[in-house]
Amino acid sequence: MFNYIVRRVLATIPVMAIVALFVFSLLYIAPGDPAAVIAGDQATPDDVERIRASLGLDRPFLVRFGEWVFRILQGDMGVSIFTNLPVTTMIQQRIEPTLSLMVLTVILAVSVAIPLGVIAAWKQGTLIDRAVMGMAVLGFSVPVFVVGYLLAYIFALELDWLPVQGYTALSEGLWPWLENLILPAVALGGVYIALIARITRATMLEVLSQDYIRTARAKGAGQGSILFLHALKNAAVPIVTVIGIGIALLIGGAVVTESVFAIPGLGRLTVDAILRRDYPVIQGVVLLFSFVYVLVNLGIDLVYTLFDPRIRY
Amino acid sequence: MASATVMAPAAPPATLPPGINAAPVMPDVLPPVKARKGVLGFIRRHPTMSVGLFIIATMIFIAIFAPYLGTTDPTALAPARRTREPSAQYWFGTDMLGRDVYSRVMYGARVSLLVGFAVAFCASIIGLTIGLVSGYIRLADSIIMRIMDGLMSIPPILLAIALMALTRGSVQNVIIAITIAEVPRVSRLVRGVVLSLREQPYVEAAIAAGTRTPTIIIRHILPNTLAPLTVQATFICAAAMITESILSFIGAGTPPIIPSWGNIMAEGRALWQVKPYIVFFPAIFLSITVLSINLVGDGLRDALDPRMAKRL
Repeated sequence: MFNYIVRRVLATIPVMAIVALFVFSLLYIAPGDPAAVIAGDQATPDDVERIRASLGLDRPFLVRFGEWVFRILQGDMGVSIFTNLPVTTMIQQRIEPTLSLMVLTVILAVSVAIPLGVIAAWKQGTLIDRAVMGMAVLGFSVPVFVVGYLLAYIFALELDWLPVQGYTALSEGLWPWLENLILPAVALGGVYIALIARITRATMLEVLSQDYIRTARAKGAGQGSILFLHALKNAAVPIVTVIGIGIALLIGGAVVTESVFAIPGLGRLTVDAILRRDYPVIQGVVLLFSFVYVLVNLGIDLVYTLFDPRIRY
Repeated sequence: MASATVMAPAAPPATLPPGINAAPVMPDVLPPVKARKGVLGFIRRHPTMSVGLFIIATMIFIAIFAPYLGTTDPTALAPARRTREPSAQYWFGTDMLGRDVYSRVMYGARVSLLVGFAVAFCASIIGLTIGLVSGYIRLADSIIMRIMDGLMSIPPILLAIALMALTRGSVQNVIIAITIAEVPRVSRLVRGVVLSLREQPYVEAAIAAGTRTPTIIIRHILPNTLAPLTVQATFICAAAMITESILSFIGAGTPPIIPSWGNIMAEGRALWQVKPYIVFFPAIFLSITVLSINLVGDGLRDALDPRMAKRL
C-alpha cells in the first residue's frame, strides 16, 4: 500500500514536468515571432524588442526553461505584461469565485447525476431510462454558454427569481453568494451531469446482473437498499474515476461560464489575458489548472480503497 | 425464396415401408425474419441514427448551397437596419451591424462543419499513426505515452485556448489547435486496441508464418482499429464543433469577419438581454447539428463495438 502510494505520487512528477515543458514551449510551437504576435498589430519595433527582452526570448531555450522551472518551484510565475502585477497575485485575487463555482457544480452534478443514472439502470429500457439517456446526449450537444444564456433568460430576465450576472463573496453572506452561483453552476453542470449519469447507468447495469444482487433480492433486501447499498457501492470506482476525469470539462467550461455570468474568476482572467495576449498570465493559469487536474486525479486514485476495500495495492 | 420451399408441406416419400407413417414435414416454427433491405430497412432498424444522418445531410446541403437559399451577403453591413426583430424579410432578424442573421447562420454552417470534419479527420489520422507506433514499438511506447499523459493533463479546451492565444485567428489555426488537443485521446484509444490485438491468435499465427511486421500492422492490426476509431471520430467531430464555438465565443477563434456559428453568437453577446434571437438562432443550429453527430456516433458504437456500448 505504502509502496503503491509512493510510486503513484512519483509517477505524477514526469507528467507535471511534461505539462510544464509543454506550457513553456507553447511560445515556440506557435508559428511566427512570438514577441511580434504578443505585441499585436499596432506595435512599434521598440515594443516588440521590449517584450522580447521581458520574456527572455533572446536567450537559449533550455537556459530559460531551467530558470523558469526554478522560479515556478519558488512560487513565482512571472509578471503580467499588461498590469505589471505578479501572476501569482492576480491568480490569488481571482481564485475564490472559480473555486466556489466548481465546488458547487461538483456537489450539484454528483447529487443529481448519480440518482438519475441509478434510476435509469434500474428501469432499463423504459421511458424513464430513455428520457435520462436522451437528456444526457442533449447535455453533450449544447454548448455551455448557450445553456447559460437560456437559463439566465428564463430564470433571471423573464421570471426574475435570480440575479442575471455577477458574484458576491462568501464573506458577505451565504445566500447572496449562493444566489449568484446557482445559474452558473447549473449551466456548467450540464455536461458533467450527462457524463456522470451515463457512466453510472452503464456500471450499474453491469453490477445489477451480478450474482450477489440476485442473492440480495432472494434474501428479501428492499429495492432501495439493493440499488444504493449493494449495487452502487460496487459501481463506485468507475463512477469516481469519471468524476475526476470530468474535472477537465469543468475547467474548460468555467472559462466560458464566467464570461456569460460576469463572474470575476480565473476563467475571466484567462479570457482577458487572451484578448490582451498577456502570455505570462495564460501560462500561469494553464499551469495551475493542469496541476489541479493532475492532483485531483492523483487523490482519487489514492482513495479508491475507501470505495472498494477489495482493492489492495 | 429458400424459405418458401421449406415452408411448403412436402408430400411423404413414396418409398416408405407399409405400416410406418412418416411424420408430416413441419413448417418452420419461426418463419425467417424478412430483413428489410435498403433505406427503409435501415431507418426501421436504426431510427435515431437515421434522424441524425438526415439532419447532418441537411446541414451539409445548407453549407454547400448557402448562396442559393435566399441569403444575402452575410458580411454586408447596413447600419440603417440594425437589430431588426425576425420578420418575413429578415427571417432571423438582423444583428447590431445590420447584417442578416439568417444569411450568416446559413453561411456559418460552412465554417462549423469544416472545423468539425477536418478536426475529426486530422486527429484520427495522427492519433492512429501515433497509436500504431506506440502499440508496436516498446521503446517508443513509454516515451510517447508519457508525453500523451502530459498533454492529457491539460484540459482540452484550455489547451486549445492557449494555442489560439499565440496564433492569429484563422480557420486553419483553429483546426490545428483543436486537433492537437484531441490527438492524445485518440492515440491512447488506438494504442489500447493495438496492444490487445497483438495477443490475438491470428496475429501470433502471422508472426509464426514469418510475416514481416509492417505487413502485419497493415493487414491484421490496422483494419481492426478502424471500427473504434470511426466511433471516436464522430464524437471528436461533435466536440470540435462545440470547442470551435467556445473559442469564437471568447474571442480566440476564427476572425470575426468570417461568419461561424460561434462568431455569430459572440457578436450577439453584447445584446443578448434585449435581442436574444441573435444568440439563439445559431445556438439552435449548432446544438441540433452536434446532437445529430452524437446520435450517429452512439448508433455506430452500438453497431460496431458491442463491448464499448455496454461500457457507456
